[in-house]
Amino acid sequence: MNRLNQLPTLRIDPAEKRTLSYRGKSLPGVAGDTVATALFANGVRIFARSLKYHRPRGLYSLDGECANTMMDVDSIPNVRTENTLLKNGMVVKEQNVKGSAEFDWMGFIDKFDWMMPAGFYYHTMHKPAAVWPHAMKQIRKAAGLGEISPDYVMRGRFDELFLKADVTVVGGGAAGMRAALAAAEGGLRVVLLEARPHLGGCFDYRVSDNGDGTPLYQRARELAEQVAATTNIRVFTHAPLVGTYSNNLITAHQVGSDSDSFTERYIEIRSESIVVATGCIERPLLFDNNERPGVMQVGCAHRLARTYGILPGKQAVFAVGHDLGLEAAIDLFDLGLKIGCVADIREDGQNPDLLMALADRAIPVLKGWVAAKAHGKTVTKVTLTTVEGTVKRDFDCDLLVASAGLTPVTGPFIMAQAKMGYDNHTGYFLPTELPERMFPAGRLTGVGDPRAIEASGRLAGLQAAAACGVSLNGELDAAKAATAALPGPERGCKLVTAPVKGRKSFICFDEDATIKSVKQAIDKGFDVPELVKRFAGVGLGPGQGGIPGHNLPLFVAKYTASSATPKPTTLRPPLVPTFIATYAGAHHHMFKRTPLHKSQKAAGGVFRNIGVWKRARYFSDDFDCREEILNVRGNVGMLDGSTLGKFRIHGPDALKALQRVYVSDMSKVKEGRIKYSAMCNDDGCVIDDGVVVKRGENDYYFTTSTGRAGATVEWIRYHTRFDGWDFHLVNLTDAMGVINLSGPNARKVLAKVTDADLSSEAFPFSGYREITVGGSIPARAMRLGFVGELSYELHVAASYMQAVWDLLEEAGAEFGIRNFGVEAQNVLRMEKCHIILGQESEQRTNLLDVGLGFLWDRTKSACKTVGAVALRQAEKDPNRFKLVGIRMEDDDRPARDGALIVDTKVRGYVATMRKSFTTGEAVGMALVEKPLSDIGTRLEIFEDECNGVRLYARVVKMPFYDPNGERMKA
Amino acid sequence: MALTLTCPVCGKRNGYEFRYGGEDKGPRPAEEGMTPSAWCDYVHMNKCTAGVQKEWWFHRDGCGAWFTTYRDTVANLEVDAPEVTE
Repeated sequence: MNRLNQLPTLRIDPAEKRTLSYRGKSLPGVAGDTVATALFANGVRIFARSLKYHRPRGLYSLDGECANTMMDVDSIPNVRTENTLLKNGMVVKEQNVKGSAEFDWMGFIDKFDWMMPAGFYYHTMHKPAAVWPHAMKQIRKAAGLGEISPDYVMRGRFDELFLKADVTVVGGGAAGMRAALAAAEGGLRVVLLEARPHLGGCFDYRVSDNGDGTPLYQRARELAEQVAATTNIRVFTHAPLVGTYSNNLITAHQVGSDSDSFTERYIEIRSESIVVATGCIERPLLFDNNERPGVMQVGCAHRLARTYGILPGKQAVFAVGHDLGLEAAIDLFDLGLKIGCVADIREDGQNPDLLMALADRAIPVLKGWVAAKAHGKTVTKVTLTTVEGTVKRDFDCDLLVASAGLTPVTGPFIMAQAKMGYDNHTGYFLPTELPERMFPAGRLTGVGDPRAIEASGRLAGLQAAAACGVSLNGELDAAKAATAALPGPERGCKLVTAPVKGRKSFICFDEDATIKSVKQAIDKGFDVPELVKRFAGVGLGPGQGGIPGHNLPLFVAKYTASSATPKPTTLRPPLVPTFIATYAGAHHHMFKRTPLHKSQKAAGGVFRNIGVWKRARYFSDDFDCREEILNVRGNVGMLDGSTLGKFRIHGPDALKALQRVYVSDMSKVKEGRIKYSAMCNDDGCVIDDGVVVKRGENDYYFTTSTGRAGATVEWIRYHTRFDGWDFHLVNLTDAMGVINLSGPNARKVLAKVTDADLSSEAFPFSGYREITVGGSIPARAMRLGFVGELSYELHVAASYMQAVWDLLEEAGAEFGIRNFGVEAQNVLRMEKCHIILGQESEQRTNLLDVGLGFLWDRTKSACKTVGAVALRQAEKDPNRFKLVGIRMEDDDRPARDGALIVDTKVRGYVATMRKSFTTGEAVGMALVEKPLSDIGTRLEIFEDECNGVRLYARVVKMPFYDPNGERMKA
Repeated sequence: MALTLTCPVCGKRNGYEFRYGGEDKGPRPAEEGMTPSAWCDYVHMNKCTAGVQKEWWFHRDGCGAWFTTYRDTVANLEVDAPEVTE
């Protein structure tokens, strides 16, 4: 097709070629084309088939209000091709068709619409119930939109922007640009959002005059230049609004162009005040076959020609209800479109200049006439009728430009909880009371005169600035006066439908809902628009309320002959479809690395996510960790324990705070000794355990489990928030690293790098010493026994960690020191029955259940210890779980962690279980109901996918290794 | 999502930065003489006011302060402290 390449209004660059692939063919397009316009320029008229009846659908609005031009683009289904700019090499496919959009084998369904009245799915196929699963499968095959491949991987770069602005202007038409300029005058930070890829709105494609001889498109470009030159206005084009919320929060997304660093990005703006200048969409005209390919709205036809250089047809008929339709007819005629007739729904009230211009061009105008029926698979003929339906005339045409009137885009107000009311003059639903600091501007207020549109924009911009506290010295009054002097809101066309029965008059394209189905819904008693919407499926499709938005409430009011004013249906975010990938943003995987990450990796560490950390879980392919475990038991190993939570608490009331959160009596913490204790929540459930050391007067250092490190400061401050105590909490988790040196040879290794006396007399089990390693590195050393061997835990400043590690590795070389990972540690401590919270406990497990009751000091009730009241109560409860040691009857078949302990009911679960290399037994710990906790009790274990075969274990004594703790105290 | 809160240290900030800490129920009661049901009421029972209530918030992604503020739970907006009525 030859394009109108010379128009000054074009937004395409005919010189820059693009190609797309469609139905196995490569089709040409140009830069600036949308996918839909490129296809249209190549003669494609039927873009898709409809959801239910498989009716052919084509280009209708060019702004994505309906699913008509949704296609599969580069394997992404349901892409609104009329909103998607063409990129080179795009692969475009039809969806929901058997065959092709042109010849769809499912097209016959359209003949059977009489079998599928409103609510068809709800009141058929549910009796007998067994029918439904089969029916559902068939319906899903026949109906629906695009399909996504289960293996599809989303590509692209997604980003997020969180902005703060004084004034946000939604809509980059003439009114929006004037509002932004006015608001920016006082130096405020202004953000301007425009859904289309370029500013200009309804001025952008019009050549009519704004009153002083400047064509509107030129005026729009002048304004766009002024906006671009104003440094305190930030413009986002191709950025449709997604939602408005309280506190004037706005969300939007922006589609990236070829030159942008993002595919799509999420935008969230907090602004002091908002100008809504979203303009109008067109109100679809309801007549038979009103959604046939070849029927399109005024703006669509006009913009196809003026913006994209494509004449929308050869022989046209217009059936319109507003002056924009007449203006488009004149302009398109001048561009070469033949026009058989212009039917104007209005009897009078047209702009006389436009009527004169139509007469000059010998275009017949039928006032008080409307389209009644379109004929042909794509339009070949149209029947026009008088509004009363008394006289009919047929016209041959390949294009029917149809539009009943305009519908303001009031979504931003509705989502901000504004009450909407019907305005009798304009025929619009408009906010009856504006939300705070939100100002309407432009065509959505009903004004049509270009100067009035601009003036209303300036006024709203100044009002928004005033709401930000800018003093305007009479400018506001001047703007008000200027607006008042110009023509006000125009009278809107009141026609609801053409005089037809409506079996094929579609009120909602996406869900194939007709006038007839709406009538059926009302006749069944669903007489409120919100109910009709759901029962007949009007506006529930991908376009949401775009097509039926105002038509549905108006039709319901008319059909029910209700005297009450019509009530619009509501809108909710997202107003436009947004990729989940856009919400997900750029950073999907965030984690922390320990100071030893690099050397652990070099040593062959296999890393796993543990909480927010990456930790080395294994150091070989043997995930049973035999060598790692036996080396600790018989020799010496090293573990990177840096993920442990580490805190300092100091200040006069530090002890009081510790007494509040720890169950033990923390006043008994002695200098030079470590104290193991636990924290509970107010239900007595154990949430954390760790050690506390006293480093000086009112100065303590304590550890928490890896998972609790993030919540500890919050926890302690929360439980002391009423007390006004004077203490300071410092989170040292990232500032300090931890090396665990364990095994019978641990003392010999450590002795080589420190001068400190490590003998059991000088540094006994449970002792705490501050030592110097390698001559100058300070280390906090604790003698702990988590893995059940002689072991030292060295807490070292993160920056020294690698140095200390290397020193120990060198010192241990002669003994054959080696790394052990988290899994080896897990088995080692399990053999000792030392618990890990979260593994041997869950949400409901209290301190007593896991056998840590000995930590709890009952004599300190004055401290109001968190959990103590609940523990007193739980003590008396005979029905709690108890942690027990278990051994499998078959030592070669340990149960999996989490396997259930059952009889006729679930009685507990296996917390951890492994085959112990040390003892050769399959042993572990389990939480079981108290009656099952006696030594020797036989337990039945159910595993996933066990096919009815149960495993058996017996309750045995804990721990399984070194019961007297001689090794760790050595 | 649209909520903003005024931290006594950092000022008015995005609601994302805070963690909710429940209704303000007053200081921890003494342990002595506490019955299980009185304790349960203190810990778990809430007034669930539809309207303005005083509540605790934690500035998690900020200074780490716990503070009280008033929020209209219907509009989900922070509001000024209501005037005390006797």
